[in-house]
Amino acid sequence: MRLLRDLGRRKLRSTLTISGIAIGIMALVVFGSMANKMNALIDGGSKYYADKDVVSIGNMYAGTIQPLSLTDVDKIKAVDGVAAAAPSIEMMLDDSTATTMGTPEMITGTVPGSDKGLETFATTIAQGRKLQFGDTGNVVVLGSDLARKLNASAGGKVTIRGQEFEVIGILDPTLTAPDKDAEMPLATAQQLFVSTLPPVVRANVKASDLATSITVYPAKGVDPAVLKLRLEAALGTSYSVMDGADFDAMLGSISVIFSLVLTGVAGLSLLVGGLSTINTMAMAVAERTREIGIKRAIGASRWRIRREVVVESAAIGLIAGLIGLAIGAAMTTMFNDMGRASGNVLFDLTFGTAATALLFATGLGALAGFVPAWGASRLDPVTALRYE
Amino acid sequence: MAILEGRNLRKTYRLSKKNKVEALKGVEISIESGEMVAIMGPSGSGKSTLMHLLGLLHSPDPNHGPAPELYLGDQNVASLSDDERTKIRARRMGFVFQDFNLVPTLTAIENVLLACDYAGIKGKAAREAALEALGLVGLADRAGHKPAELSGGEQQRVAIARALVNKPEIILADEPTGNLDSDRSAEVLALLRQFNREHGQTIVLVTHDAEVGEACDRVIRMRDGRIRDNGLRAAAPAMAVDAVAVPA
Repeated sequence: MRLLRDLGRRKLRSTLTISGIAIGIMALVVFGSMANKMNALIDGGSKYYADKDVVSIGNMYAGTIQPLSLTDVDKIKAVDGVAAAAPSIEMMLDDSTATTMGTPEMITGTVPGSDKGLETFATTIAQGRKLQFGDTGNVVVLGSDLARKLNASAGGKVTIRGQEFEVIGILDPTLTAPDKDAEMPLATAQQLFVSTLPPVVRANVKASDLATSITVYPAKGVDPAVLKLRLEAALGTSYSVMDGADFDAMLGSISVIFSLVLTGVAGLSLLVGGLSTINTMAMAVAERTREIGIKRAIGASRWRIRREVVVESAAIGLIAGLIGLAIGAAMTTMFNDMGRASGNVLFDLTFGTAATALLFATGLGALAGFVPAWGASRLDPVTALRYE
Repeated sequence: MAILEGRNLRKTYRLSKKNKVEALKGVEISIESGEMVAIMGPSGSGKSTLMHLLGLLHSPDPNHGPAPELYLGDQNVASLSDDERTKIRARRMGFVFQDFNLVPTLTAIENVLLACDYAGIKGKAAREAALEALGLVGLADRAGHKPAELSGGEQQRVAIARALVNKPEIILADEPTGNLDSDRSAEVLALLRQFNREHGQTIVLVTHDAEVGEACDRVIRMRDGRIRDNGLRAAAPAMAVDAVAVPA
């Protein structure tokens, strides 16, 4: 209470200092939440790709994908160390060129069971049921973000690429790619895929023979990296084989950039907030020179005076941290609500991020208090008492 | 019995490289337990400096010649560290200043509690002591008021409550009536006199005011950094003998 009264003695200056730190902390919270979301996404991918190889021709994300033939599946199964090979069709949900943060919305055509139970990336169902072997026609299981965007529920209908689909299930959130997936039987996806091909190409392919990628599950004890080399040898150079390390190399840099941005924001707020806190507390100490003299004279030790200044300074930091966190949390919630309609949930404010921001702000305040606290504790009581 | 006894007390302040002020040029002083003593003298005579040494706010110069001695009871406190002096100030001394020197943001009782806190007394015991001290100075009903809401005389009484809350061995007062009109001045002086008489409180005060001096048991007169008259009259021969004869 006494502390708040002291802060209240110089409302404008305290307010400005607190605002400075609060803005820094707010930026920290917002960027931190974004990094959380990004890292969850990348982590999910990293985990998914860690124990398998994915065979394709060209790069889907670069738009240079070329279809594989289902005969490739048999070629792959013949390679030593392959336990299962699951063909799939992966394509963009629509052709809009709108770029999104995070993963794009995808159609994935699969053959349930073709992984022979080796898929370790578990998804759980929130409504309805999972896709099963034998499902045919226009049925779809939607990822959580996509379901929300399409306002779909199990048993309802959605329109995908001009066709009506029955929603048979909705997945629980995974915080990574499947959240924006529309999973359907391979044959259904093959038809959709063919319809997007240029007429010349379309005439020369058989829809039921197509896949865009084949997921290869290594046999027990076989290193995916070693299997990758065998697959490359067996398939030839026109095929590309991606393993977990390739995925990490591709997306790890995104993680690094985010960490850099975050560190930069933290560094700036440290500098601005810290300097302004030092200034505020130095002024407060100068103003209170006489009071410090009184306290020293009647028996306050140097340590007590130092503690007083540092605690007050830390309180400035904590208050600023709480305000910054509140604004940051409000902003991420607001942006997420705005983005939800388009499936772009960009922020994930975790407890860890919130706690870090508060600790950081308080620590910063305390640290900034040390300089003026030291000065205050060195004051000679007699001189300080005479100070006007 | 002497409660404070000093010998060879010198203090030179260095205002700049060339400008030195010899504030005390070798002072010998003895304060008896239960005495109320005034230190008087013109400005620049060294009385405030002496007060700061007696109150352990400053240390005497280490001297080239005979080392300074300052006994509080039977402990030589002349060359203690800042921390040790601070601890003694907190627990064994009380201070009253000319301009009251209360902390403006704290209420009367919080100002008194500050002294308890520094002396290591906390919680309920501190609260009771603070209320009792405020009661002794007649301000129990003003405990929740801030200094700005109190008159000068009341502020000084709060300061006296703060000085005596820890039942110190000695109260040092620097011009305690200097900023008060004559009525308030008489009130504060009477209060100090009362504590001295009724509780045997040792009080040393610096003053310009001859009336204040007269109200004390003894007046020590200073000039040019030395004691000109230690005020030991024939009327109190026992003290005079004591002050000279007690060995270090």
